[in-house]
Amino acid sequence: MTWFRRKRTREAALVVCFLLPSLAIFFLYRILPLGWNAWLSVHAWSPLKAAQFIGLEHYEEMLLDDDVFWQALANTLIFIACSPIAIAAALGIALLVNSDLRGAAVYRTIVFLSYPLMTVAVGIIWRWLYDERGGFINYVLRSSGLIDQPVKFLQSFDWALPCVILADFWQVLGFYMIILLTGLQSIPQHLYEAARVDGVPATARFLRITLPLLRPSIFLCIVVGILNSFTSFDLIYVMTNGGPGHATELLITYIYKAGFGQTRFDYAAALTVVQFLLLVVLTVIANRLSGGNAGSLER
Amino acid sequence: MARPSRRPPGSPPHWPRHAIMIVVSFLMLIPFYWVVKTSLTGENIYAYPPRIVPVDPHLFNYVDVWYMIPFARYLLNSVIVTAMAIAGSLLFNVAAGYALTKHFPGRRWVVMLLLSCMLIPFQATIIPAYLITSWLGVLDTWLGVALPLLSTIICIFVFKASFEAVPRSLIDAARVDGLSEWRIVTRILLPLSKSAIATNVILTFIWSWNAFLWPLIAIRTPEMQTLPLGLARFLSVMEDTTGALYAFVVLVLIPGLAIFLMAQKEFIRGLTSGATKG
Amino acid sequence: MNWRSLTHRFVAVPLALLALVVAWNVYIAFNDHGIIEGEVRDRAGAPVAGATVIFFERNFVYYEEKQRATTDAQGVYRFTDMKTHVGQLEARTADGRKSERRQLRLWFRSQDTEVPPLVVEAPRA
Repeated sequence: MTWFRRKRTREAALVVCFLLPSLAIFFLYRILPLGWNAWLSVHAWSPLKAAQFIGLEHYEEMLLDDDVFWQALANTLIFIACSPIAIAAALGIALLVNSDLRGAAVYRTIVFLSYPLMTVAVGIIWRWLYDERGGFINYVLRSSGLIDQPVKFLQSFDWALPCVILADFWQVLGFYMIILLTGLQSIPQHLYEAARVDGVPATARFLRITLPLLRPSIFLCIVVGILNSFTSFDLIYVMTNGGPGHATELLITYIYKAGFGQTRFDYAAALTVVQFLLLVVLTVIANRLSGGNAGSLER
Repeated sequence: MARPSRRPPGSPPHWPRHAIMIVVSFLMLIPFYWVVKTSLTGENIYAYPPRIVPVDPHLFNYVDVWYMIPFARYLLNSVIVTAMAIAGSLLFNVAAGYALTKHFPGRRWVVMLLLSCMLIPFQATIIPAYLITSWLGVLDTWLGVALPLLSTIICIFVFKASFEAVPRSLIDAARVDGLSEWRIVTRILLPLSKSAIATNVILTFIWSWNAFLWPLIAIRTPEMQTLPLGLARFLSVMEDTTGALYAFVVLVLIPGLAIFLMAQKEFIRGLTSGATKG
Repeated sequence: MNWRSLTHRFVAVPLALLALVVAWNVYIAFNDHGIIEGEVRDRAGAPVAGATVIFFERNFVYYEEKQRATTDAQGVYRFTDMKTHVGQLEARTADGRKSERRQLRLWFRSQDTEVPPLVVEAPRA
């Protein structure tokens, strides 16, 4: 047993022991599912029958026959496309709050308050705000004379998705603000001083100093924005459940319905593969647009 | 008492910024106010026009919620699952973080593997995660709901950074004294890593308390439902004209808000440390 | 034991909440005999003896009769062993006078309550 007394092996055994539980969890819930999804998507499988390899049939069905998939894909892309608006607004707020404003900490807390909330609760809150009888939004619109009849926001084909996006906006604004604020505070002040001394106007200071140095934070916000469209399941489930029709169906809600509503695990796995590929492609594009290397500042 | 202005001379005045921030704050707080107002009002909430201030306010909607739905049961389930997630994640993340501070062959590969695991969102794994949990036999149990959260990569790196900041001399001295590795972790490293522990606890609490999709998939019987599930179920079951549903929402939000307000710094630090990992 | 550590917010806040919960449960334990009592008076303020007080229990959206009690010589009635947290009370006399239906909402089930007096009025002819 002399090998056990050797320090190297003991240390190796220790490292393995300590890493094992975490690695087991990641293997079970991250790596294995990724592979299993890919495997499932090319097989026909139901819990009662054996799996049967069918090649790309599920993908054919998805891309050629499934209108709901295309609608869900479009909705997801619209969702993602709206995140730059939220990021820009958060940047504005972060700039305002970053200055030595009295009470900046209070403003920060108020804006960030919505983020740690249960998304289901946020969905119910906003559902109530949009309600045509007791809701705040219809009340304001009607009493200010902008509209005569209450608008059924969440039941309208045109307004449902923007309304859900607005609710998500409210919740995620604080998160973007915090990320951007951290980025802003890590910009060295002497750069601004030097620019001011040189007579550089404020807008040029913003465009030439602030924005480029904020690239990593903005990249992170974009990635979170992309992920947000995948994680907004709670909001959709509670506010509209994909309706009316499939106007607010996102890829993730469709995957849930296919997998656990219709119990078509194999088709849902194919949808998940497509969703994951979409995520990878969008992240790579975002990476390229922020100058590569996750937007970081080293070249 | 006038405080001297803190802005440098020549810079623009502060009051426009205050004005904008007040408007923004007002807009951000309106949803809260509207829901609280609805939960306190004593009238038919669907009557138009809705009143700005609660009419005949009373707290009995909260009493109704407590008795009409199995609120205590949902609360218990949520608390147990969250407690398991926090305890398990502290154990596993501390261990993994410590292991990563040691230089062993293949460390770079493990770190890269973990970083790439971070790119896999939970939503991309729900179908197999359900099948795996079912195969493990822990579907519809507290452990099954807590299982995916028992280790998270952000927290592992937070602990790793915190442990690496401890001077090596302390660790070496302890080793010379004959302490076993685990004792080194608990006696020396952990007491110096209080903020990392707080970050782990807060983040795991928020993720576990607010989780909806995974409990929706993993829980099959109504008795095991956690608070978010109970809330969603209540929504589809009850359609009365009182503010009971909104009292439920307020009750559900209070623990999350209280924890957040108590531990803001740690929460924000945890979120941004994930951002600055690169 | 480090007393300073008790004032840290991570300890003080949960402890304070725990103390609140314990105190509330202690209060409940002392006050949950399920006794609901009150008086029945007439317009002039005089107690009405021999009136029947009906307790209606909520059943989803309507209320149905659950229990009856009779007022004694001082016009005081008493329900014991009540187990609900919401209901309605109405007093009726033998000669047809009725009081309004008083909504009763309690803070917890079986809470001992003293209800403000129910006033019986003669029905409008």
